[in-house]
Amino acid sequence: MTSINTDAILETLVFIAIFLLLPPLLVGIIRKTKARFQNRIGAPLLQPYFDLLKLLSKGETISKHTSWIFRSTAAINVSLLIILAFLAPWTSLRPFNLGADLFLVIYLLALTRFFTVLSALDAGSAFGGFGASREVTLALLVEPAVILCLAAIGSVSQTSDLGVAFSFNNIALANQPGLWFIAGCGLFLASLVELSRMPADDPTTHLELTMVHEAMILENSAANLALVEYAHFLKILILLGISSQCLLHAIPFFWHTTELILVLSSIVSIMILAASIAIIESVAVKLRWTKLPEFIAYSVAMSIFCVFIALSKNLN
Amino acid sequence: MKLERQQTPFHELHDILDHALSKSSDKRVGLLTSITGGEIATLLLSPKDGTAELMVTAVENNKYSSFSTHHAQFHWFERALFDFFGIVPEGHPRFKHLLLHDQYAQDFFPLRKIDLPTDFRNALPRRYEFLEVKGEGVYELPVGPIHAGVIEPGHFRFSCFGETIVNLEIRLGWVHRGVEKRLTEVPWQKAHFVAEAAASDTALANAFAHAIAIESILDLEITERAQYLRTIALEIERLAVHIIDVGGIGTDIGLLGISSAMGRLRGKALALADLISGSRFLRGFIFPGGVRPVSERKLSEIKAGVIALKKDLTPVIQMLSDNQMATERMKDIGKLSKSLAAEFGMVGIIGKACGIDCDTRRQFQQGKYPELAPEPSIEIGGDILARTAVRVGEIWSSLKTIETLVDNCPHGEEKVTVPEMLPANATGLGIVEATRGELIHLIFTDEDGKICRYAIKDPSFDNWTAISIAIRDNLIADFPLCNKSMALSYSGNDL
Repeated sequence: MTSINTDAILETLVFIAIFLLLPPLLVGIIRKTKARFQNRIGAPLLQPYFDLLKLLSKGETISKHTSWIFRSTAAINVSLLIILAFLAPWTSLRPFNLGADLFLVIYLLALTRFFTVLSALDAGSAFGGFGASREVTLALLVEPAVILCLAAIGSVSQTSDLGVAFSFNNIALANQPGLWFIAGCGLFLASLVELSRMPADDPTTHLELTMVHEAMILENSAANLALVEYAHFLKILILLGISSQCLLHAIPFFWHTTELILVLSSIVSIMILAASIAIIESVAVKLRWTKLPEFIAYSVAMSIFCVFIALSKNLN
Repeated sequence: MKLERQQTPFHELHDILDHALSKSSDKRVGLLTSITGGEIATLLLSPKDGTAELMVTAVENNKYSSFSTHHAQFHWFERALFDFFGIVPEGHPRFKHLLLHDQYAQDFFPLRKIDLPTDFRNALPRRYEFLEVKGEGVYELPVGPIHAGVIEPGHFRFSCFGETIVNLEIRLGWVHRGVEKRLTEVPWQKAHFVAEAAASDTALANAFAHAIAIESILDLEITERAQYLRTIALEIERLAVHIIDVGGIGTDIGLLGISSAMGRLRGKALALADLISGSRFLRGFIFPGGVRPVSERKLSEIKAGVIALKKDLTPVIQMLSDNQMATERMKDIGKLSKSLAAEFGMVGIIGKACGIDCDTRRQFQQGKYPELAPEPSIEIGGDILARTAVRVGEIWSSLKTIETLVDNCPHGEEKVTVPEMLPANATGLGIVEATRGELIHLIFTDEDGKICRYAIKDPSFDNWTAISIAIRDNLIADFPLCNKSMALSYSGNDL
């Protein structure tokens, strides 16, 4: 009895350590890979941690036109994303079986966006306004892709609990590499837009007029900005984690392997996806705003394929 | 080029302008300014035969009827004329201050030499009012003068409808330093140091135009070697600026690899500048009478550097031009029609990208031009793609021209002795094709042979309006790219 407890405690500690410490590293990986693509040495891998620490020690400036929404949004978002990290199947390691309903996961994500948009509008700056309007437009377009991909998986496994669907032991999903692969790719493409990466948004730009996500957080500073950044990093971890889990499920090897290998592969695959974001950002051009729906259409198309696969499976 | 001041009465001036700026004529306006505040001086250029004429018209009662109503390209000249001299262009469609901001006194006109009429009151408030676009759903977006990047200050006031720009009003003048006035105060022998500081990335072209203007007043012939060296330096400056501007396009569309490669190669172009002048920004190289001495060894190093740079640039530029996504991103955005470009008198890159052959290297005497002038790089698209293509074309032609010039550069003295006094009541003109286009320096001396008025027309002064026109009905998010493709100078405009 005691040994089970120590195992569980250890597992919990490892899990918490991963989701608290990994996100900035992912951003470090993206930045380093991009720098290497530009023939630069680039900042150290751990720079995002130093940046967060630096921000925490700075003095904060708050516009006097803001209300409590602006001041509390960052904290609300970090809390929501931590809850999500406990619920969503972003790694094979899940010490808490809380029952992650797919609609709960999707709408918790949407809730973080809701607060970010509110806080952008709250400061009353023109940039916050159009950043928010762009963010909502994009969200409207990608949301169907995310929902349909996850719903297709859920419908094949006859459950809306993502924890059950993503557990490497659901018989209904065992021989569905096509479904998993297409869902993984669709979610990955959708994540690029959700995470404001290229080709939807250029996170390195200094041009206010082209920004989406950055335009919304122009007013944040110091500890508030550190929390906003950290929330964004966590979102990268969770979204890339879900996509990478889909891709891992597509490979039969991982259905018959040990827990340890699975956990390690989960983490490595998230890092590989982070590096692929960097590669895409290095070779792709930031698309014209009016061309973006065409790009999002790819991920929506993939999600519709998933639905077809799920339908054919269910009809048989 | 030495000029005569032709006294032209007002009624004649209107007719001359109507005739010269009609579609059948190939003449165009160089600049419009005043000397003391009691007259207006109009510089008319004839690109075909490389000549210019200057018409001086006395102004009565401190006002005249505006030319902008008939010839759009005067609209900023007339606003600047009022800012600096207090001469009122009556009937100007958008009459307000241009470069002098709210903090100046109501009746302050810095370049005016004669007294204002006793009954004159400046009716124009110092407080700047932007054009307001009315209607449901139209909102204003103020950007600048402080920007998120390390760039010069300028305020852009967008009136937007959703994601579309309905109107853009640009307010400049934030780096107005009084260069033109200062140039009349310093001893003329040292004035080239002030002239080349007018715009730092155009330092050489400014020094060049200054030297041509002073030499034309003095009737001074400089040595053949100096002509060659000046031309080589001019092309090196063009090369360095074009390389970083093409790299800037890479930054703005998200191709960071191209922009960092171009940033590195620009360093190599600056190293060429360092070789010829001892200064990476070509400061102090050209002065009236000649250039600083350059050894033969340095010249052969420059040639080797140009060949190496050509080899390095080829794959990078190919990466940009072969990238289908990049081409698509730039095509049909920020489009300027040829007719509007001609009407507003666009020069340089913007004019060339609209199919206007406005390369002054082929038109006016400057160094070894027009004798050895390269083929102009002309595009017809008028969009961002066309402007980038013109820049790339000029990179190649500059590299080739530098090679030819270095090969043919004769031996001999670099400078000649300069007289100590400027002649009285003379007028000198220097026209140089700077990186951004036609740069004009116009110098007037008084009866004591001192410079009494020094007018500079930077190409950006003509071209700033192009952005407002080109970006209309485009997306807000396309503005930075469009702005970058024009890459205009703020300090050169504000002076």
